[in-house]
Amino acid sequence: MLEAVPVEYYLVLSAAVFCIGLFGVLTRRNALMFLMSVELMLNAANINLVAFALYWGELTGQVFVLFTMSLAAAEVAIGIGIILVLYRNYDDVDVTDATTMRW
Amino acid sequence: MWIETLIGLCFLAAAVVFVAPDRHAGKLAFWLSTLPLALSLYLYAAFDGSGNALLGGDVAYETRFEWLQLGPYAVNYHVGLDGISLPLVVLSTVLATLAILSAWTPIDERQSEFYGLMLFLEGSLLGVFAALDFILWFVFWEAVLVPMYFLIGIWGGPRRKYAAIKFFVYTNVASLVMFIGFFALVFGLGDAIGSTGLPEVAQALEAGQLGSLGPLGPEAVAMGAFLALFVGFAVKVPVVPFHTWLPDAHVEAPSPASVLLAGVLLKMGTYALLRFNFTMLPEQAVTLAVPIALFALVSVIYGALLALAQSDLKRIVAYSSVSSMGYVILGLVAYTVYGVGGATFQMVAHGLISGLLFMTVGVFYNATHTRMVGDMAGLADRMPVTAGVFVAGAFAYMGLPLMAGFAAELFIFLGAFESTVLPGAPVFTAVAMFGIVIVAGYLLWAMQRSLFGPYRLETDYEVGPAPLQDVVPIVTLVLLIVVLGVAPDLFFEMIRDASLDVVALGGEP
Amino acid sequence: MFAWFFQFAPAIAVLPFVSFLLALVAGRWLPRKGALAGILATGGSLLLSLGVLAAVVSGHTHEQTLYTFVDAQETFSLTFGILLDQLSAAMLVIVSLIAFLVHVFSLGYMNAEGEPGLPRYYAGLGLFSASMLAFVFADNLLMAFVFFELVGLCSWLLIGHWFRDPAPASAAKKAFLVTRFGDYFFLVGVVAVLVTFGTAQFAGADGFPALAAEAIDAGESFFGLSAEAWVSVIGLLVLGGVIGKSAQFPLHTWLPDAMQGPTPVSALIHAATMVAAGVYLVARMYGFYLLSPTVLGIIAFVGGFTALFAATMGVVKNELKQVLAYSTISQYGYMMLALGAGSYVAAFFHLTTHAIFKALLFLGAGAVIVAMHHDEDMWLMGGLREHMRVTYLTFLAGSLALAGIFPFAGFWSKDEVLFDTLVVGLEQPLLLVAYLMALAAVFVTAFYTIRMVLLTFHGDPRTDVAESPHAVGLSIKAPLVVLGVLAVVAGAINLVPVEKLTGLRVSFLSSFLGSDRGLLTHNAHYVDLRTEYAGYETGAIVSEPVTVLLGVALGFGLAIAGAVAAFLLYRDADPVRHTERLGSIHTLLVHNYYQDEYQVWLAEGLSLRTARAADTFDQGVIDGAVNATSSVSLLSGDRIRRVQTGVVTNYAALVVLGLLALLVGFALYGGWF
Repeated sequence: MLEAVPVEYYLVLSAAVFCIGLFGVLTRRNALMFLMSVELMLNAANINLVAFALYWGELTGQVFVLFTMSLAAAEVAIGIGIILVLYRNYDDVDVTDATTMRW
Repeated sequence: MWIETLIGLCFLAAAVVFVAPDRHAGKLAFWLSTLPLALSLYLYAAFDGSGNALLGGDVAYETRFEWLQLGPYAVNYHVGLDGISLPLVVLSTVLATLAILSAWTPIDERQSEFYGLMLFLEGSLLGVFAALDFILWFVFWEAVLVPMYFLIGIWGGPRRKYAAIKFFVYTNVASLVMFIGFFALVFGLGDAIGSTGLPEVAQALEAGQLGSLGPLGPEAVAMGAFLALFVGFAVKVPVVPFHTWLPDAHVEAPSPASVLLAGVLLKMGTYALLRFNFTMLPEQAVTLAVPIALFALVSVIYGALLALAQSDLKRIVAYSSVSSMGYVILGLVAYTVYGVGGATFQMVAHGLISGLLFMTVGVFYNATHTRMVGDMAGLADRMPVTAGVFVAGAFAYMGLPLMAGFAAELFIFLGAFESTVLPGAPVFTAVAMFGIVIVAGYLLWAMQRSLFGPYRLETDYEVGPAPLQDVVPIVTLVLLIVVLGVAPDLFFEMIRDASLDVVALGGEP
Repeated sequence: MFAWFFQFAPAIAVLPFVSFLLALVAGRWLPRKGALAGILATGGSLLLSLGVLAAVVSGHTHEQTLYTFVDAQETFSLTFGILLDQLSAAMLVIVSLIAFLVHVFSLGYMNAEGEPGLPRYYAGLGLFSASMLAFVFADNLLMAFVFFELVGLCSWLLIGHWFRDPAPASAAKKAFLVTRFGDYFFLVGVVAVLVTFGTAQFAGADGFPALAAEAIDAGESFFGLSAEAWVSVIGLLVLGGVIGKSAQFPLHTWLPDAMQGPTPVSALIHAATMVAAGVYLVARMYGFYLLSPTVLGIIAFVGGFTALFAATMGVVKNELKQVLAYSTISQYGYMMLALGAGSYVAAFFHLTTHAIFKALLFLGAGAVIVAMHHDEDMWLMGGLREHMRVTYLTFLAGSLALAGIFPFAGFWSKDEVLFDTLVVGLEQPLLLVAYLMALAAVFVTAFYTIRMVLLTFHGDPRTDVAESPHAVGLSIKAPLVVLGVLAVVAGAINLVPVEKLTGLRVSFLSSFLGSDRGLLTHNAHYVDLRTEYAGYETGAIVSEPVTVLLGVALGFGLAIAGAVAAFLLYRDADPVRHTERLGSIHTLLVHNYYQDEYQVWLAEGLSLRTARAADTFDQGVIDGAVNATSSVSLLSGDRIRRVQTGVVTNYAALVVLGLLALLVGFALYGGWF
């Protein structure tokens, strides 16, 4: 049996991807970039789940990933929809424009 | 099944009236409200209970079945009446019917909603007095606030929003404090009780089964719970200094709502004080007798002084309610038959009398569109019958003998004077009794300024006698007040019977 | 055989009550707007009262509980009942007689003038009579209080009858408030009696006066006080109500203002109902008062002082009814003095004669006022005797009785009051002072009474109205004649000085009130109590006949002196306003010793200012705190909500920061570093 990659490697990868996503969420104003960053964070979580599923030899984590992926797909569908509406209303996809609903 | 029918009738009537067309709503509501009225009178006539419902007495019309399981505690649907709650039930149905009748003239918009809310309020009030399980009771207790909030907020005067929110938030915060206090008791009792039923809690407490709660010993739990409950109910009563929501609510509320607010809602506070603080935690009540009596005294005298300073008739009556409810507290803390019984009797008597005065002020307002005593001088000239009724109501408020107010005050004074748990009881009583002089002062003065002297109200229409639908309810109330004043034993007998066990809890010092 | 009347005794009060209900509900449609119903009812009461009196005279008494107000077996019950002994039977006759005559008089005074609101007037009059009659036959203190208060209500209704004028409305308020102030003490006293003794019955061995005597004998203590002290406290508390209702100093100020009411009402209030109620109450529970010499001394002193004090004010008044008002206060002072001096019979005797001549004087004044087209100023009258023979003669009889001129009714009763006070006063210096004040008041009384008569009826007419006065009808004259005759002869019921000097048995009232009927409310019992508990002893100057003669000479001499002085000053055809020459004393008297001023200041200045201050405090501080709580919540919410920028990036940053903070927190707490 091939020597398994230690689980820490996956975790480092996941953390790196998550931080890239987080950095994107915190710094970008373009809604599309925003959405992509969120996807990155979700997938970072997926990596974690798969890695631990392998580590424990259980399928629960992988099943969860399937759910997460479908959720992400749904989120993209809605997210794109929101971005389209945003563009129609503000002629732009800058998330800091739409602040009227705060109070 | 009687009480369910009673409360159910109110809620059903509320639903029916709510969907009825506006032009029929008033009449429909009145006739529908006579059903619970008739039923409550039947319940009064057929009453066969004895003793106190919380202390193992024989509860009349009892219904009890399991409703929910809340952790280790069963929450039961448990209702029943004893000699303390039955008079208040009758008071609620009587006042609700008359208040609905008195609303025919002044309420001219969104009528079906108004009458629907009134009937809903009536049903909730009946629930408060009939419930014998804490959670059930609390549901009704809070349900009362909702219709009253809308009644003030929609049909009220110019500052109605302020008044409605103040009323709602103030009493709701108080409910929170009270709720915490009660659950401190429940958790303190731990395994000693299996449900949140009020009789079970009261009897477990009487048996001394209160345990520690976290770092607090049983004594501290009981004292903390007593204070929390007292503050919670004191807002509702209201006891000075928690009274300021009352004048605002009364002044802004439409008169029929004021009638129920002063007539019944305030009694929820004193009723709860009697049921919770003075029945469940008598030791703490006796320990705190002097400060509680001081609160009562301050309410009586300070409330009366405030009434003296007002020039809005409704504000006068509102502040005098603060004063009258002070007597109730004094009677309760005395722990004598006349004291506790008189306090309960005063709840009924004051309900009728303050209801009468608010209703009569409403009739004046319908005709003159003012409530300021300075504006409406000489009104007795134009509205002799209504003025006569107001005079009767005012004298009833001053404690004129052979009217209900005198009987109630006399009982309270007798009870307080002979109290053995209150040190210096005669002095407290004598000082509190001075309220009867101040109340005479401000009511006579108000009458002199508003009813007598030359008529000088300037209106662009003729002010004439009030219509029959306005006169009937106020005259009915006067008659009821006289009947209760001449024959107080109609209620006082069953009240005494139910109070005996409570009085025994106070015991000899 | 007269005991048969006892079963109908409750009807004495019920009949006028029915007339009240009739007038209230259907007065508009009744003949004479309720006057006839009232006359019939009070007439019936009078007949029944006479029957009851006959029964009591023939040796029966009656005590019965009629109604249980509260049947509280576990503590003590509250009951209403009827007590018919010598005192109450005699008083019932007086009250119903005056009430009847006042009703008849009203027919001429109110109906003939076409007043509006007559049903209201007769309803008030009916309730007034009913309450007073029920008060009189009350068998316990609580019931007495109940009807005492109802009497107060009726006085408010009737004094304020002409409510469209500001003055009557204000006077009614004042009357009720001042008496309410006294009743406050009375109510505390009632509560104290009930709580202390568990009963409020007046009569019998289980009545509270007897129980109090037992408690004193047994040396018990109540509420940390000895029985004597506690009895004194209760006595003083009840006395508060008496002083208020009987218009004694310092609570007399309501009475002159009460003249704003219709004159027949004044007659009823002054002669037989409201004002008499106070004195009657002391007589009713006299067995209790005799237990406390302190309270007796206070009663006597207040009485003597009030007699003089009020009489001096009567001297300077210009309005007919004002003079009579101050004379009422003064005369009730005599009765209080007699009660304080332990002379139960003299007090009741004076109450009886005063009821007659004061009702007469007020009704006479009413006739004059009708004749003068409702003008009351005596300086606008004069010479009226030419046109009103009947009124003049009866009024004169009443005046001479009031002045205490032999042989009119007032002479005998006033003499007995003074004599009884003198003999006790010879041993008690305080009572002697009270006696001297009352003696001085005799002179003043005679002076202002004769002045009043002269100004009203003698001399030349000073106005056109006085020259051709309005004629008065039969319903006005008839009551005057009845009372006029009584005012002359009523003294004959108790000719004590005659008995003492000649030995003839002519003191009928004394022997009537003195005979033992087993209720412990007879005078002989009171005399025992007076010696045993109050410690009163009687003295004499030289010997008893000499003292009697001396007393008569002093009293009668001063009365004559006062009358002559007034006659000399005011007999001219066009009299001069002599009293105005008194200068600053005149100002003081006209302003009633500034008693009103300070009481109005107490009621309006002090209370109202306190109330306004309380209101400011309430709105500012208490409600301010409530509103501040809400303002602080709103303001802080307004500040904190600014965290919500609406920019998602900021929220994400906050989430991350929060997560980091949590991590750091856990790390520190968990000791990872």
